[in-house]
Amino acid sequence: MSGPGLITSYLDALARQLPGQVVEELADGLEETYRRHVGLGLAAGEAAAAAVAEFGDPELIAAEFARAHPARRAGRRLLAIGPVVGMCWAVALVTGRAWTWPVPMAAGIVPGLALVAVVALLAVAVRTTRYRAVGRAGAAGCIGTAALDAFMIIGVLAADPAARWAVAVAMIASAARLGLSARLLRPVLAGNG
Amino acid sequence: MRAEELKGHLDALLLAALEAGPRHGYAVIEALRQDTGGRLDLPTGTIYPALRRLEQAGLIAGAWSVVGGRRRRCYQLTGAGQQALAGRRAAWREFAATVSAVLEGVPCPDPA
Repeated sequence: MSGPGLITSYLDALARQLPGQVVEELADGLEETYRRHVGLGLAAGEAAAAAVAEFGDPELIAAEFARAHPARRAGRRLLAIGPVVGMCWAVALVTGRAWTWPVPMAAGIVPGLALVAVVALLAVAVRTTRYRAVGRAGAAGCIGTAALDAFMIIGVLAADPAARWAVAVAMIASAARLGLSARLLRPVLAGNG
Repeated sequence: MRAEELKGHLDALLLAALEAGPRHGYAVIEALRQDTGGRLDLPTGTIYPALRRLEQAGLIAGAWSVVGGRRRRCYQLTGAGQQALAGRRAAWREFAATVSAVLEGVPCPDPA
């Protein structure tokens, strides 16, 4: 493969995994690296091969960017505070005898299933090394967490208007997490390019 | 020196490379190469995600420019980055003095 062809192919491999702005920055660095090798006396093809080798495996670079994605941090934070908010709601629902509330069964099952889905999405954001999967799962996890908190606040207010202190504490916890999810979502979307 | 030996120190090296003024990714790599006499054996491409991570942490700020028809992202230390670098330097001096005291018999300087 010719020098420019090798570099183009390398950048294509990166572009399949990373957003355009990231690839643009890498392309600039790769071009500088290539020019340095040409300046050291290598032929075009050798300089391109040396530049690509010096940059490293595209898979490794994409995985490092995935680790640096804001969704990673967002996922970690939401997973860390999840048990605290969950415990607040558990206390609120048990002390409020939620099973006696006049709500359809689906109103109890749907949030439970949504919670499992949100935790799974956040876990993907924290664990996977594929950049786009990290970003998408992180964004969906943030939105899902906010939606779940909004559903709990509105749903419990509707089902039990005489909210007790434990319910009030759980609502405050959910409202705080809703705000955090919204704040975390912005850099996650920016990272998705 | 290989990447795994640098774990925990790469951020400080990148911050130090930006202390002299704004640099783009490749210039940061060149600065590290020159300062270490070519001893750093890092896949160049992994420097860029580390720069992004530092930017998200607010320790450096990135800005785009156009040079020779190519878009280029340059980074500079923020106030928080300068403070972080000072903290890393102090921690490194203490770490190096402590390890040297054991491995080479060099007395530890008085902490006061």
